[in-house]
Amino acid sequence: MKTHWTIAYKESAQMLRSQRGLLWLLAFSGLLSAFSLLLASNTELSLLDNAQVVYMMCGTVLAAGALLAAILGSDAYAGEKERGTLVPLLCAPMGANALLTGKALGLLSAWSVMFAVAMPYLWAVGASGQNLGAALFYLALFGTPVVLGFGYLAMALSARTGSVLGSLLSTVTLLMLAASPLLIGPGLRGTTIGRALDAINPFAGALNTFDSVIIDSEPFAAQVGRLLLVVAWLGLCLLAARRSAAHPNF
Amino acid sequence: MRIWKYLLFTVITTVLLTSVSAAAQAPLALDLRPDDKNPSSPVMGDHLRFWSTITNTGTAPIEGLVAWISLVEIDPGNEQPVDLEDWSAHKAITGATLEPGQPLRTDWPMRLIKGGDYRVVVSVTDRGGRRVFTSPTVQFHVRQKPVLKAGRVLPVAAGVPLLIISLMIFNKANQRRRKGQV
Repeated sequence: MKTHWTIAYKESAQMLRSQRGLLWLLAFSGLLSAFSLLLASNTELSLLDNAQVVYMMCGTVLAAGALLAAILGSDAYAGEKERGTLVPLLCAPMGANALLTGKALGLLSAWSVMFAVAMPYLWAVGASGQNLGAALFYLALFGTPVVLGFGYLAMALSARTGSVLGSLLSTVTLLMLAASPLLIGPGLRGTTIGRALDAINPFAGALNTFDSVIIDSEPFAAQVGRLLLVVAWLGLCLLAARRSAAHPNF
Repeated sequence: MRIWKYLLFTVITTVLLTSVSAAAQAPLALDLRPDDKNPSSPVMGDHLRFWSTITNTGTAPIEGLVAWISLVEIDPGNEQPVDLEDWSAHKAITGATLEPGQPLRTDWPMRLIKGGDYRVVVSVTDRGGRRVFTSPTVQFHVRQKPVLKAGRVLPVAAGVPLLIISLMIFNKANQRRRKGQV
């Protein structure tokens, strides 16, 4: 078995076998349960269109996935350093990229588990409406590069600073900034500055795609520009992570 | 003599008819109209507004006036009065006094909770009188739209966390068993 697969297996096992990983999943499912129960019990919210609810839930899943990526990514190098296991890992007969790939695959499997947990919730709130299949497809297509990008960014900071706290704070701050379209109304985002930020923000790109396909039923052709944005985000973060992982702070 | 009898009968009849007519005439005029900005084809979740005008057409003031709005579902086979609990927070005006000739214009906002055919009416009574006056009815149709079904949400919202908790307990038990074996 290749080295990066071994690392990926160890990392992904943490999500389903360790109490820490399951506790995260429990918190995530609790968040989605609270959200869906709020939607069902509140008269005002329960009158929202199914598509609108699915759109909101996709945004929440994406934000939670990116937060998990920030946590796991921050722990990837700095956590190993703090536990005293980074030096043995670096001395092992494997390339720097193998360690990075293994960690990224572990993150990818954690995101897959989160996606699987979110699916019944999306079905529960959106099965009687429109575009549920499209919502799941685009959540995977756009969510994966956005989440992985945040993971790579956190890994880059984690390897460079050698501090879990430092890396986590920086990545979460950036994530909060990127996820601000979840809180800011479309009216404010319609300004010149709002549109400019949307044009460079991969999180906003994914959200706008969810809006476009779930609520407005627009075709794939309308999403290509935003897909390029999130792929570029992933590429840039991967480059940053590779550069930092080549010379980690140990 | 016979002519006098006819004349007397005519006078009495006229007096009686006039007094009955005066008693039957309502001291209130009531009108109910939908707001001009209401959507022409409302859908669930939309807001409607109705305007009622109550005018004191009598000669005495009306005190302790109570006006309330009622909604009736008129879908075939499902005809029933609707509980306005979720539909409107503004269900009545109470204690108003109307001087002769004075109108009272009130708006009645409403949130459309369920699809179907409905009829809305405003009723008025006062402290002293024993009668209830009703406005003309306004009928409207609310289009259905797909919304959240609570029956589907509850099992998922409770089931998924319970499944994860079961997995945690199973994992913990497995770990203890392994430690015991070592």
